[in-house]
Amino acid sequence: MLLALLLCYSAFTALCLAMPRHHEELLGHKPSARRRQGLKLAGWLLLGLSLWAAVFMKGWSFGLVDWCAVLMLSALTLVLLLPYRPRLALTMAGLSLLASPVAAWALN
Amino acid sequence: MKEGFRQAMAWLHTWTGLIFGWLLFAIFLTGTLAYFKGETSHWMQPEIPARPLNAEASLTLAQTYLQQHAAGASRWLIDLPDARDPGLGVRWQPAPARPGERGQFISKTLDAQTGAEVQARESMGGEFFYRFHFQLQMPYPWGRWLSTIAAMVMFVALITGIITHKKIFKDFFTFRPRKGQRSWLDGHNAVGVLVLPFHLMITYSSLVIFMSMVMPASILASYGNNVRAFYDEVFPAANVPEPAGQPATLAPLAPLLRSASEQWSGGHVGRISVNNPGDANASVVMSRAGSDRVVNDAGSAVTFNGVSGQIIGTPSQQPMAMAVAGSFYGLHMGHFAGPVLRWLYFICGLAGTAMIGTGLVIWLGKRQLKHAKTGVMPFELRLVEVLNIASMAGLVAAVAVFFWANRLLPVSLVGRDDWEVNAFFITWGLSVVHALFRPGRRAWVEQLSLGAALFVAVPLLNGLTSPYHLGVTVPEGDWVLAGFDLTCLGSGLFLAWAARKMQRAGHTVSVKKTAREKARPITLEQGAN
Repeated sequence: MLLALLLCYSAFTALCLAMPRHHEELLGHKPSARRRQGLKLAGWLLLGLSLWAAVFMKGWSFGLVDWCAVLMLSALTLVLLLPYRPRLALTMAGLSLLASPVAAWALN
Repeated sequence: MKEGFRQAMAWLHTWTGLIFGWLLFAIFLTGTLAYFKGETSHWMQPEIPARPLNAEASLTLAQTYLQQHAAGASRWLIDLPDARDPGLGVRWQPAPARPGERGQFISKTLDAQTGAEVQARESMGGEFFYRFHFQLQMPYPWGRWLSTIAAMVMFVALITGIITHKKIFKDFFTFRPRKGQRSWLDGHNAVGVLVLPFHLMITYSSLVIFMSMVMPASILASYGNNVRAFYDEVFPAANVPEPAGQPATLAPLAPLLRSASEQWSGGHVGRISVNNPGDANASVVMSRAGSDRVVNDAGSAVTFNGVSGQIIGTPSQQPMAMAVAGSFYGLHMGHFAGPVLRWLYFICGLAGTAMIGTGLVIWLGKRQLKHAKTGVMPFELRLVEVLNIASMAGLVAAVAVFFWANRLLPVSLVGRDDWEVNAFFITWGLSVVHALFRPGRRAWVEQLSLGAALFVAVPLLNGLTSPYHLGVTVPEGDWVLAGFDLTCLGSGLFLAWAARKMQRAGHTVSVKKTAREKARPITLEQGAN
């Protein structure tokens, strides 16, 4: 569940940054079209990967429930964090991305 | 999409949300608390000790106890302890005086390790929140009907809400705090959209759970007046065979646990029922623990001959339609959830509660603006304000009083469990009276502060009135009891923050001497257990 959570959170952060308005708020400038495309693709890939992680760990029935739960939790965390601690929200996304291979290795 | 259609949907969303909002808030909050039903019960009956789990030993103890105390009963029910609720529950139904009658169950709780009867204080525990959230303390079947209608309205409000909310994806990550009415709407949308899968699942599944009550047409068409026959076919394990009238020794139950577990490829037994114990026609039904699977399956029981111990009924393949219904049931109840997922369920439940609460606040805030200049609120707005305060802040304080009553009422009091419930409703009723006589913002601050004080003091009160306080439970690693105290403390701090925010918002308004009272953070109380 931890791995899925880490991947989900970074996925949502990438998808958030893919929107020009949020990119400007968080990083101070508008993203180029290429960058937006890249972030969007990365976000969806990470979401897919997190689904795979959840299902791989616990099978379809428990995995899907877990995945839905972390999906909601990570989106809620990100949205509530963004207006108050934007730097922290981004740092956490970076850290989760870095930590996810470790989590994957540790949980296997 | 035509604008007229969207406006119609917005109208529907606004008014269904208002009329049922208060009730739905209570249903969602108590339902959320019910996710920790076992833990709450454990805290409210701390005399029942938590022991290392050993199903076979516990079952043997239960059998010994029942053979001594309930030898002539027509039926025994044994609930095995689990990590959340440590009591070994035994119930029995005395043989009926006349055939066809069903006796009243007698219920006792045993120590899972010694088999001794535990004299726990009388309390409904977490069962109260669970029962309230779909029975609403009304006589059968009215409460169930009302809560089902509320669920239907909730479903309508969700769908119309999705239609009304134009920019679901554009505003997906948007939350702008400290902007008055704007922030409330952002918050309402954020908890609504981000937790939408949970909202849809929980609302739709609640309709599925009561489908045979709400839409009995298909059952009535096939079975006519003999509805009983339908349930006998659906739940074959519930059929009690006639006693033969010849005494016979009941087989030891513990070895049967393993055979049942093998039938489910390693699943766990939750409840054991023994029909006609001590009779030649005895049978033993082992039902699977809800924590094993997401999909609930009432037919997955294994039945044994009670004398020879041979398997006479194995779980049948669950039909597709029943598996779908069972999965909705299982998802709603969350029996399968481990500690982490259970907390996520709890957070999602709070988000749902917050969505309803913010909706109610928005309804009032929008309309209050129009009357801000005159400073006089029309009767209907004042009514909504009073109901908002009592249904949210008052309810949370009532939950805290319920816990207080559990620790303060004397153990010997007759009808003690009823008095705990009475304390809850008296507090809730008083909160309406209080809200009536105090100005809106003062009433919010005072009731939130009361709730905060009561919740923060729960661990303290627990320490003063019981030997199961944090100083003992944390070193022992009893995280069910310790977690309850700490969650109360956390909820209290949250309510205190909300009360302070509310007061400051009121203060700045009066200092600036602006009559325009923006609905500044009335911050939602999301009382936790």
